[in-house]
Amino acid sequence: MSPRLRAIGAFMSFALLLAACGGGGQSPTASAPAGASASAGPSEPAPSEPAAELEDTLTVLCTPQEDWCQVMVARFEEDFGVDTNYVRLSSGEALARLQAGAQAPEFSVWWGGPADGFVAANAEGLLEPYVSPNSEMIPAERKDASGVWTGVYVGALGFCSNTTVLGELGVDVPTSWDDLTDPALDDQIAIAHPASSGTAYTALYTQVIRLGGEDAAIEFAQQVHPNILQYTSSGAAPAEMAGRGEVAVSVVFSHDCVRNIEAGFSDLEVSFPEEGTGYEIGGVALIAGAPEPNAAKAWVDWSLEAETQEIGPNEADSFQLPTNPDAAVHEASVNLDEVTLVEYDFQAAGEAREGLTQRFEDEVVAAPVD
Amino acid sequence: MTASAPVEARAPAARRRRAAIDPALTIALVIAVAFVVVAILLPIASMVGTSLTDDALPVFQRYTFGPQRQILINTVILGVSVALVGTLVGFLFAYVQVRVPLPHLLKRFMHVMALLPIVSPPFALALSAIVLFGRSGIITRDLLGLDFNIYGLPGMVLVMSLSFFPVAYISLSGLMRALDPALDEAATNLGGSRWHTFRRVTLPLLLPGLASGFLLLFVEALADLGNPIVLGGNFQVLASRMYLAIIGQYDLLGGAVLGLLLLVPSLIVYFVHRYYAERASVVSVTGKPSGRPAELTHRPVAILLTLLAIGVSLLVLLMYGTIAWGAFTNLVGVDNTLTTKNFEFVLFGYGLEAVSDTVLLAAIATPLAGVLGVVIAFLVIRGRFWGRLALDFGTMLGVAVPGTVFGIGYLLAFNTPVELLGIPVIPKLTGGAAVLGGAIAIVMVFVVRSVPGGLRSGAAALQQIDPTIEEASVSLGADQATTFRRVVLPLIRPAFLTGLIYSFARSMTAISAIVFLTTPSTRIMTQQILNETNAARFGNALAYCVILIVIVCAAIALLYWIIGSSTRVDRGVAQPAEATLVRST
Repeated sequence: MSPRLRAIGAFMSFALLLAACGGGGQSPTASAPAGASASAGPSEPAPSEPAAELEDTLTVLCTPQEDWCQVMVARFEEDFGVDTNYVRLSSGEALARLQAGAQAPEFSVWWGGPADGFVAANAEGLLEPYVSPNSEMIPAERKDASGVWTGVYVGALGFCSNTTVLGELGVDVPTSWDDLTDPALDDQIAIAHPASSGTAYTALYTQVIRLGGEDAAIEFAQQVHPNILQYTSSGAAPAEMAGRGEVAVSVVFSHDCVRNIEAGFSDLEVSFPEEGTGYEIGGVALIAGAPEPNAAKAWVDWSLEAETQEIGPNEADSFQLPTNPDAAVHEASVNLDEVTLVEYDFQAAGEAREGLTQRFEDEVVAAPVD
Repeated sequence: MTASAPVEARAPAARRRRAAIDPALTIALVIAVAFVVVAILLPIASMVGTSLTDDALPVFQRYTFGPQRQILINTVILGVSVALVGTLVGFLFAYVQVRVPLPHLLKRFMHVMALLPIVSPPFALALSAIVLFGRSGIITRDLLGLDFNIYGLPGMVLVMSLSFFPVAYISLSGLMRALDPALDEAATNLGGSRWHTFRRVTLPLLLPGLASGFLLLFVEALADLGNPIVLGGNFQVLASRMYLAIIGQYDLLGGAVLGLLLLVPSLIVYFVHRYYAERASVVSVTGKPSGRPAELTHRPVAILLTLLAIGVSLLVLLMYGTIAWGAFTNLVGVDNTLTTKNFEFVLFGYGLEAVSDTVLLAAIATPLAGVLGVVIAFLVIRGRFWGRLALDFGTMLGVAVPGTVFGIGYLLAFNTPVELLGIPVIPKLTGGAAVLGGAIAIVMVFVVRSVPGGLRSGAAALQQIDPTIEEASVSLGADQATTFRRVVLPLIRPAFLTGLIYSFARSMTAISAIVFLTTPSTRIMTQQILNETNAARFGNALAYCVILIVIVCAAIALLYWIIGSSTRVDRGVAQPAEATLVRST
């Protein structure tokens, strides 16, 4: 530790020396992180206070598909007059980015992505509990009781298969997790990497629940591994790979498959594992030390409204189901009542995340193929 | 050096004094050194420092002997394969270009095809490879009915060899033009067959050049981030693993360890390459070839080589054509209806911000890098001060060090304000709440990655100018700054122009460092292309590629028009910069 510090110190002193006589170089402009004052301690939820003055800007960490993010941001900007920016990052990437910026958060609100990601972020003190006044509209099983996260959409994991490719391979549309280990599907399956994607992590943790433990889940992943063409970084990308015929089967949230069918990939078909599948509750949460807390709260409140939850299916081809019971369900959306779901535990899933993804890397991905 | 002996003998004392007191020279030196220390050495030192802590030991173990050791093996396999294939293709192009008598237009076509990868984003070819040769590829499946798996090693070798062979081509063709044909003639006159002459005379002379090309391509392949992410399949390499570590997990320690594992071989191989490259530049004793290169008159061989080169050229053309065509389709390969919606997205929709941000930052970085490159070249070639070789070395680290290492280094060095004794010296440049949305760090990386090109082309030009011209100017009363501006700069204008062009092209196409440095308020096109690719939205990704290529070409034309209108860019001067340019990953 100390030699390293000394080395860096030496460099810095040299740098200072040069900066002092540099003159012509860039002069450091004063810019303290604006308004990042929140202490990381637990703050009491502030229900139904008169809305505080909104900040001029809002930066959203957005995890669903890019075009949904765009429409949401544009609409919020229009309705609230707040200059709104966003970055789309997959769930794991979003978590990573929040960790990176913990000292001076660049985002104020995190919208979308499986709730386990929010649980993992909260465990590191990256989120600020906020019980929105609109939260009472959301059923209890779709939100965190203490307001760490609140559900904004629901989606079930499924198989998204290219029927043409399957037909050529002589394989039926998969209806069980075990169908994924079929040797005929060699290099014909795509799924995202659980380290970067919430979708893939949901799929991995579903195996933990289904098979009763991490060891069994890893073993199952090892059995599927020879059939995997590529672990993508984004959770929804495998559906498009299947759509283009790069693979026969992809494991994605079913709404991402529907979205691609609507976009013109007509060979795609959604199916579900009959022994039970995992699901996500897409969450929204306030970020600890948010630079724009009031605008962020306004975003949370707004995102829970029925009308807002209809934006995705109607304007951005995003067919997740709403959490607000008053929101209309789009006809293309998958009816969850017809799907067997496992007893997914978001809290446990979030807590197991780091260890399980590391095991996945070491014991599944790193293993030489063939 | 070309400095003549009498001058050396007469004036060293005076010159040393002048170098010390001339304020312009001192300021230039201070800025140059500050640049190298802050923008290059500090980030590298931060990364190396992080990776040498006690905590890092188990991580090293994990990647060298532990469960992840396959990544290192894969990286070496990929590096060697790409370097081998790329050097061979580069050699083929150079040989046909220099030695085979062909119509001028055909040679021109092959030359342009060989340079196209330089002005395009690094993984554009990967996208069109998937469209053409993928599982559902237009050629592999629709035309040939094959089930060819492009993901993994074969696809990466194909795409990366095509992306990087220009490096080998440029340096080898320069070398071949400089070869003294008299040697070949002598061998033939003494009764050697053509093949014997090639094997025993030409090839040994080219060997350092081939070795240097091979090593440079090896470093390129090691550093490339985009292609392994897009095409890697389950063939994980260091660079793509680093991306996952930082972007997917924010595992700075793991990233730093992987960075060191990538840095050490890259540095060794790069400087071995420099050694060979310098040997390659003195192939003939006289320095000037005594005639035009001998032409290959053996028809069957000439025809075979020409056909091969034309084949590769057509492949490049086909792949870039696919990029252009795919950008105008609805869902390329599935629904090929023509549409402009992808361009609307990029030019009038959400992508516009990325386009304008990228052009703006590259346009800021270009003159900075151009001027800095020439100034450092002047200091290194003409300066008389201790440590000028260190300055040269430090600047060249900008290309010798893989971009991913800079990305992580910048994150580690500048994510908090750099402080000394509690006084902030450099504000927070990366991540959230960074000054100007992280734009400064991005410009710094652009400059760092471009200056070496300008330095090499500037140095090559300066070495060809007799210093007595400058001395005359100083004798007539001009100070160093005026001499530099009024005498040196006009003389090395072609080199300066080359430096500018390559700075801009490199900045626009840079990805490996940038991926770690973009923020919500600063979007960069290559990063957006990667995002769109990761989400498998090829239409948007291809439209970005097309626009990026158009912008780079337009900027090159503009620079020629502004600066080069009266000066023809000297090919010989352009080459060193071209050779370093291609390391844009």
